[in-house]
Amino acid sequence: MIPGWKWHVSRKCRGCCDLAEPTMEELYVKPGNQERGWNDPPQFSYGLQTAQGGPKRNILNKRVPPPQLQGSQSPVPGGAPPMPIHSTPPLNPLAPPPCGVATPPRLCTAATECTDSPSAQSEGEPIMDDIIAVLNWALNACRDTVKKQVCDDIERRLKLFEETWRGGKLSLPVKKRMNVLAEEMKNRNWDRADEIHRALIVDYVNEVSQWMVGIKRLIAETRNMSPDRLGETAALPDGTSPK
Amino acid sequence: MATYQEFIQQNEDRDGVRFSWNLWPSSRLEATRLVVPVSCLFTPLKERPDLPPVQYEPVLCSRANCKAVLNPLCQVDFRAKIWACNFCFQRNPFPPSYAGISEVNQPAELMPQFSTIEYIVQRGPQTPLIFLYVVDTCLEEEDLQALRESLQMSLSLLPPNALVGLITFGRMVQVHELSCEGIAKSYVFRGTKELSSKQIQEMLGLMKPASQGAQGRPSAPETPATCRFLQPVHKVDMNLTDLLSELQRDPWPVPQGKRPLRSTGIALSIAVGLLEGTFPNTGARVMLFTGGPPTQGPGMVVGDELKTPIRSWHDIQKDNARHLKKATKYYEALANRAAVNGHCIDIYACALDQTGLLEMKCCSNLTGGHIVMGDSFNTSLFKQTFQRVFSKDYNGEFRMAFGGTMEVKTTRELKVSGAIGPCVSLNNKGPCVSENEMGIGGTSQWKVCGLSPSTTLALYFEVVNQHNAPIPQGGRGAVQFITQYQHSNTQRRVRVTTVARNWADAQSQIQHIESSFDQEASAVLMARLGVFRAESEEGPDVLRWLDRQLIRLCQKFGQFNKDDPTSFRLSESLSLYPQFMFHLRRSPFLQVFNNSPDESSYYRHHFVRQDLTQSLIMIQPILYSYSFYGPPEPVLLDSSSILPDRILLMDTFFQLVIYHGETIAQWRKAGYQDMPEYENFKQLLQAPLDDAQEILQTRHPMPRYIDTEHGGSQARFLLSKVNPSQTHNNLYAWGQETGAPILTDDVSLQVFMDHLKKLAVSSAA
Repeated sequence: MIPGWKWHVSRKCRGCCDLAEPTMEELYVKPGNQERGWNDPPQFSYGLQTAQGGPKRNILNKRVPPPQLQGSQSPVPGGAPPMPIHSTPPLNPLAPPPCGVATPPRLCTAATECTDSPSAQSEGEPIMDDIIAVLNWALNACRDTVKKQVCDDIERRLKLFEETWRGGKLSLPVKKRMNVLAEEMKNRNWDRADEIHRALIVDYVNEVSQWMVGIKRLIAETRNMSPDRLGETAALPDGTSPK
Repeated sequence: MATYQEFIQQNEDRDGVRFSWNLWPSSRLEATRLVVPVSCLFTPLKERPDLPPVQYEPVLCSRANCKAVLNPLCQVDFRAKIWACNFCFQRNPFPPSYAGISEVNQPAELMPQFSTIEYIVQRGPQTPLIFLYVVDTCLEEEDLQALRESLQMSLSLLPPNALVGLITFGRMVQVHELSCEGIAKSYVFRGTKELSSKQIQEMLGLMKPASQGAQGRPSAPETPATCRFLQPVHKVDMNLTDLLSELQRDPWPVPQGKRPLRSTGIALSIAVGLLEGTFPNTGARVMLFTGGPPTQGPGMVVGDELKTPIRSWHDIQKDNARHLKKATKYYEALANRAAVNGHCIDIYACALDQTGLLEMKCCSNLTGGHIVMGDSFNTSLFKQTFQRVFSKDYNGEFRMAFGGTMEVKTTRELKVSGAIGPCVSLNNKGPCVSENEMGIGGTSQWKVCGLSPSTTLALYFEVVNQHNAPIPQGGRGAVQFITQYQHSNTQRRVRVTTVARNWADAQSQIQHIESSFDQEASAVLMARLGVFRAESEEGPDVLRWLDRQLIRLCQKFGQFNKDDPTSFRLSESLSLYPQFMFHLRRSPFLQVFNNSPDESSYYRHHFVRQDLTQSLIMIQPILYSYSFYGPPEPVLLDSSSILPDRILLMDTFFQLVIYHGETIAQWRKAGYQDMPEYENFKQLLQAPLDDAQEILQTRHPMPRYIDTEHGGSQARFLLSKVNPSQTHNNLYAWGQETGAPILTDDVSLQVFMDHLKKLAVSSAA
């Protein structure tokens, strides 16, 4: 771990809070693999990498011409006038610290303020059976139109997902995001469900790589289906048909 | 237009073009006297969110050897419905679909703001993008696992309809059949035997018996037989995921003291042959993932005896690199074949030792593919760099384009001498091709098989107007760039950029020409020429050539009294240029000391393709200083900028360094940042991290990241880049310490400048 390693995740919260907006737990930076890579850079989550982030705050592309060419014959170029050396950082600096000047105000510093964000809904651990129910509902809807072998293959991976969960091998963020993914599928927001699947496989590939491709396929197959068929052929186990 | 700087910026934003000179000298003689050639950096697919493509074909000049595209510089007779080509003056009738045009009803391509315009053209059937993974299995288990996961992850990032294929190799080469059902099958090839493209296609069963009669015409790609190895991602994603997770390390035992036998050469040749036979002239990416040097068969770079180390610069200079020439020739031939078919080759090489990039670099350099060099596949450097290959733009489209050809047309007084960038010549000798080659010359068309929005070519021109001839007709010269390519959404598109600059008489208007000098573009353009030479010439010769050019430029544009160096001045438009050249001389692009041949190849690979901003960062790294005395400010890349109460952020493109000065480091160690009353110190520590994060989030390839402090061993990354204005030799001369002395005998910028001035003002020169 690099000393003093702290990254601010500063993103604007546009309209409190759209479902598609990544939540704080999806926006993170973790240190690189220093053991395997010499000065390995930090790793950014999928949410951070795809964030279009608006205009850059500080574009660092300015250069200073050497003083020699501008007439000054001083052998030591530029340099600030010698500053008094403090033994402690100045308590009350003459100028405000640089980030106070350079950064725009952060509108929403913590997503926890947004009470209706999806992660806030599910503070505790999501219920696996609910997620499985949605996935099975989608799978059942596929059964009529999609080749049996593909459906069986998806089913095998859903089982694997279930087993991994039961075996305690899934981390909380993965469970939570799977819950949101299932919600999005239920509401037929295929693009969003697909995007969550992508974020999960990028951020947690070692946890999800074996079964996530089944979810990916399931999303792809169900989104191709006509809405009627989805509604007709399957109802959720609790009797409610998804909206 | 207020200033040249604004003009230059506006042109770059709109057309992706930066010229060395924005006024052109009107004769050949005067042009050569300007030292820096009339040349430009051109980014063919620069991202233009404000430029929606038009849905029709471009209108071409009817003269057979011209065929320039109708553009805003053409003169139009709206009544007669005729336009005059601004390149060859041919008068052309408008096509019937333009019957309705008038002064008030003009098509987009005639409007000045559409000096760059993109056409969507429909030619032939649309074919999906193709990604062929070529995976080395002679890896440590940890690396192989990380690579498996990255490849599985990539299936979610690929376009769903893209075709994907898998070739694995170690001692043998396996081509995997991808089917949705049944048992996994693969074809195994020996890694030592060279096969022709035809043999490969026959052995893979790609040639139907019936079509074998038709010479060299492989069967159409629609037939299922040809597709067994390349299947749509959305059909085979589950099977391929399983296949990848079952991927084992190469089973052949590796005796002690030996390297694993790695058949990279044959694996690549099968990949190229497979695509050649099935999808010629269709956008495709061969992605080679390798963890060590090729050790057997054609293309081998080093033998399998560990006691024989892989070639070093020293070996190469002593002509003691046994496999170098043969291997290079082998990969060049492969790269050229791939380029002919419009396919690009990426190399992802992750190992602590060299992997043979020196020999294999041409595969990427000639086809526009990526090269990524890392220590291990289990690093964030590799994982994120790989992810970013599949990054998307503001429209949600992949930032990659394929099978590009770029053509240059010029008005008569100008000819094109050559291009430097990730391209090959198409050997198209048209009327605007110069006899004098610079870079890849002798043509007005180049092929760029893999393009990204930042891919940038350098183009060099020759002014051919004779001395004492009048300023050419119209007072302006023009260049047109026509780039045809396959967009990532598989559409065929043509982007046309037409730019013009005024001619100026170099005798009476030299000051105007001087103020039109773009020193940033010129530094990069000259540096590319230097790097291009460095590939074939000795290092010291290249440096001498660069020095000579710089001295001549200073003689031409400096203001001085003869033989009086202290009187020497340069105007603002050249003020940064000598400093760029100073840092370029020290850069890893021209200095091979302390770098392996692979590293030099890697650095040069990126240098000759990035856009101006990134290239300039590579030449002269950016240094920013953070302190309590004000907002972050750019400071000289100089040892005098290393002060105890500053934090420095240095960006060299390949590395990001955060350096904490002595006092700052002590405060940090003492934990002041955790005390609420020193919140400002905490913020000071945070500011460079935030700025570094922004760079890290967008840069491709991901740079290495170094967090260090005064006295830290990693501070060497900063110390080796700054100008050593204070060294152990002169430190005491200045009396007091105002920076960090560098232990080096390298020449400082001050000494360099003193010599430059002396030579520039010398009447002997």
